[in-house]
Amino acid sequence: MLRRKLFRTFLNYKAQFISMIIMIALGIGVFFGFNMEWYSLVKDVSYIMDETGYSDFRIYSEDGFTAEDLEKVMAIDGVRDGTRFLTVNASVKDDTDVLAIAVSENMNVSGLYLMEGEPYDETSSDGMWISDQYAQKNDIHIGDELTLTYKMLTVTGTVRGLVKASEFLICLPDETQMMPDYNSFGFVYISPAMLKEIIPAIFRSFIGDDPYFQINVLSDLNKKTFVEAVDKALGKTFLVLSKDETVSYAEAMGEVEEGKTMGLILPVLFVAIAVLTMVTTMHRITASEKTQIGTLKALGFHDGVILRHYASYALMIGAAGSVLGIAIGYGLGYYIMNPNSAMGTYIDMPRWTLYIPGFCWIVMAAMILFLVLICFLSVKEMLKGSAADALRPYTPARMNHLALEETKAFKSLSFGTKWNLRDCFRHKARSFMTLFGIIGCMILLVGGLGMNDTLHGFMNSFYEDAINYESRINLDPENLSNEEAVELAKEVDGDYASLGSVQLEDKGVALEIYHIEKDHVRFPDRNMKYQPLGNDGAYICQRLADEFSVNVGDEITFSPYGKEESYTVKIAGVLRSLTEGIIMSDQYADEAGIDYSINTIYTDRTDIEPDDAILNVQTKKAIMDSFDTFVELMNVMIVLLVIAAVVLSLVVLYNLGTMSYVERYREMATLKVVGFKDRKIGSLLITQNLWLTVIGAAIGLPAGVGVLAYLLKALASEYEMKLVLGPLTYLVSILLTFGVSLAVGLMVARKNRHIDMVAALKTQE
Amino acid sequence: MNIIELTDISRVYTNGEHEQRALDHVDLALEEGKFIVVLGPSGAGKSTLLNLLGGLDSPTSGTIRVNGKDISTLSESELADYRAETVGFVFQSYNLIPTLTVLENVALVKEIAKNALSSHEMLRAVGLEDHIHNFPSELSGGEQQRVSIARALAKNPKILLCDEPTGALDSQTGVMVLKLLLSMARDMKKTIIIVTHNQNIAGMADVVVKVKNGRIVSCTEQPNPLSAEEVDW
Repeated sequence: MLRRKLFRTFLNYKAQFISMIIMIALGIGVFFGFNMEWYSLVKDVSYIMDETGYSDFRIYSEDGFTAEDLEKVMAIDGVRDGTRFLTVNASVKDDTDVLAIAVSENMNVSGLYLMEGEPYDETSSDGMWISDQYAQKNDIHIGDELTLTYKMLTVTGTVRGLVKASEFLICLPDETQMMPDYNSFGFVYISPAMLKEIIPAIFRSFIGDDPYFQINVLSDLNKKTFVEAVDKALGKTFLVLSKDETVSYAEAMGEVEEGKTMGLILPVLFVAIAVLTMVTTMHRITASEKTQIGTLKALGFHDGVILRHYASYALMIGAAGSVLGIAIGYGLGYYIMNPNSAMGTYIDMPRWTLYIPGFCWIVMAAMILFLVLICFLSVKEMLKGSAADALRPYTPARMNHLALEETKAFKSLSFGTKWNLRDCFRHKARSFMTLFGIIGCMILLVGGLGMNDTLHGFMNSFYEDAINYESRINLDPENLSNEEAVELAKEVDGDYASLGSVQLEDKGVALEIYHIEKDHVRFPDRNMKYQPLGNDGAYICQRLADEFSVNVGDEITFSPYGKEESYTVKIAGVLRSLTEGIIMSDQYADEAGIDYSINTIYTDRTDIEPDDAILNVQTKKAIMDSFDTFVELMNVMIVLLVIAAVVLSLVVLYNLGTMSYVERYREMATLKVVGFKDRKIGSLLITQNLWLTVIGAAIGLPAGVGVLAYLLKALASEYEMKLVLGPLTYLVSILLTFGVSLAVGLMVARKNRHIDMVAALKTQE
Repeated sequence: MNIIELTDISRVYTNGEHEQRALDHVDLALEEGKFIVVLGPSGAGKSTLLNLLGGLDSPTSGTIRVNGKDISTLSESELADYRAETVGFVFQSYNLIPTLTVLENVALVKEIAKNALSSHEMLRAVGLEDHIHNFPSELSGGEQQRVSIARALAKNPKILLCDEPTGALDSQTGVMVLKLLLSMARDMKKTIIIVTHNQNIAGMADVVVKVKNGRIVSCTEQPNPLSAEEVDW
């Protein structure tokens, strides 16, 4: 019989129950979705990295490694496996596309993952295993013939398989690109046997039989130990990069960190809002059920049975909300994490399985338990004392005088204002929850939209303005001396630079040496103001400045990879930079005695053709285009957050609005009897909502800015973004919040018309 | 002069297929300035009658003329004006706004009634001038009912409608409240209609209307009504 009551009570309070279910579903959905995103990314990235043996360390040498070198490295204690590896960017014949040719002697390390076609054959003399993404974008099929050129070499082979590879997980031609573009860049694996065949004898006399410039290694050693062991084993210092320093791993983990940050800050707010409003609603429902609870008690039901009965409501709501929430979570997770999403264009993985992190289940269970507990405690409160006590209807808190009533200002307030003010104080929990809901909505909106502003601000300053050139010419220093490069730069009316890497303590960082005369490259400082590079010191990017706690006037010491010498430079300023590194003028570099080769020219000319000295030419547009996808990826999350914020606040405020309406039903009926019109009573209700909105917005706006600042700080290791909030963000956030509040107010106020004065006033106090 | 004229009034409540006739072809005329008691057992239809007169409800059929105006066809908004200007209500359960003080509960009628009287005056008249800053929950039942009377009369309505005004009070307080109600209404020349199932109150009335099963059984004038003290409680 009680079960039947359970069902019918559910129908009685359907609005509250449904809104609680939606709140839980949204809270859990957003929390699950955003956390599934990064967690699944970790799992799915690990999968391809494990399957294809993504190397933990790569050792570089300009002279190439012999088979003996590899043997020596393999003999190091703690090295599980290793391979000699080669990758060079080759041009596709009769096309502007670039394909990275990769060769790995031991496919257990830096190997490939077959999607379609024949398995990799290490003896094949013409087989090509090509990136399936590139193949798809360029309409290349298994069996097609492909010709590539690298310098004076021509490589012709047949496509045997379509593959993915963790070494090309994020498939970028160089560091200036942020997003892969499979239309113009991909990779292709060939066998060591084929490599041997294509290198003409004349070349071998220069580079030896085996032009492997890399040894890739699987090992759990830490970098310091490994580097020392390699130095000892090979008797020489080499450039060693750990996987944290590679684009694919670092960027994928950067995505994970970003996801974690997004997943743990804003969705937690969702869960908090859901839990708090849920608590209020549950308490109110049990309060309005008090006479029923008393009746059951008077009939002779034991407290335990009644408690169980009511606790089962909470359990039902919790369970229904959770199931729906998990579904929403999967939906959100899928929306961000699928091969066709923005993430899919960024990271090239074979598997996009969604996983739920363990702590999500704990949060969900805690949420349900908490709901049950609240219900249990509220009912226990109602059951206190004798059956007769329990039968008495629930009375809200007595009205107490407020301190501010003594003020002159209060006395001059209209009756409606006083009514609303006192009501807020009388129903503190409800008012607080409403306020909290509005603050939460505001924070999510300011946070989400502000993130968008910041991102665009970041993009604009870095790319629109900092890139003040039309073409970037990448030179081949092997075929061009510094003097020739300067000559070429003059010819094309350009600025030039040497972009390389050095070692700062244990960390590999970029060293960028610029000669800027034509303002083709600009450098933004902490405040996003562009400043020219001075000649009295080096500049350091904000991330490094924070990481190494150095500031203007301090000195840092770095050394070129694989070399004994080190340079100490004075910090002249801190810049915001895309690459993590040290920046200086060529004049200062000369003064500091730093050896460098010019490898980049920036110019406004667009008619430059690649030749021996020019590896390739990138247009500004091509660089800009690659960011669109990157922005899109962030936008997806932002849009989802904003939509969820609006829906959540609608539900929360409607729920609380209805609660307020129910609690003041009798008072409104009285006003109606006395002669107040519906419109006037409605406006009283809306006024209260609007006040709370004004206060909530006033708190939520700075709180949102604070949350955003915190988010940016958490993301700072990846991007050096400056908090930017456009006037439109303020306006839209405020308008949306007020819009939501007003819409809810109107929805609730419309109910006035249906107040049954007669029935309302007959009920006993 | 008749201030109230009911012609062939019926009020039918339908609940699914079930039909309940709360008032069944009722005709009634009441004179201005009189103290009228409507008597009847539970469910007789007396509260329905009061609700119709007060503009809280509209009849299913028939016409109600109050002060010469047909109120049975008024819109929601016009009914609100009618309630604000013409009638005052006193309920068994007081129905004060718990979040407003005594003074504010009375003063709120100024927001809607054009001819509202001074709230302070009204509260002095009901003997609550010392409690004007208290909240209703700080008052006794009798005191709360006096606030409710002050609020009803502060609108300066033509008619005062009271639904079991002493129903929730002990007899001594009940007498006091009734006395107050009567003396104030008489002084201010109001028409008072009290709905009750308490036979004893009928002794004080100028006119006694008896209602049973939705019909008016009798409407009797009493030339020599008793005073409140004389009523046997």
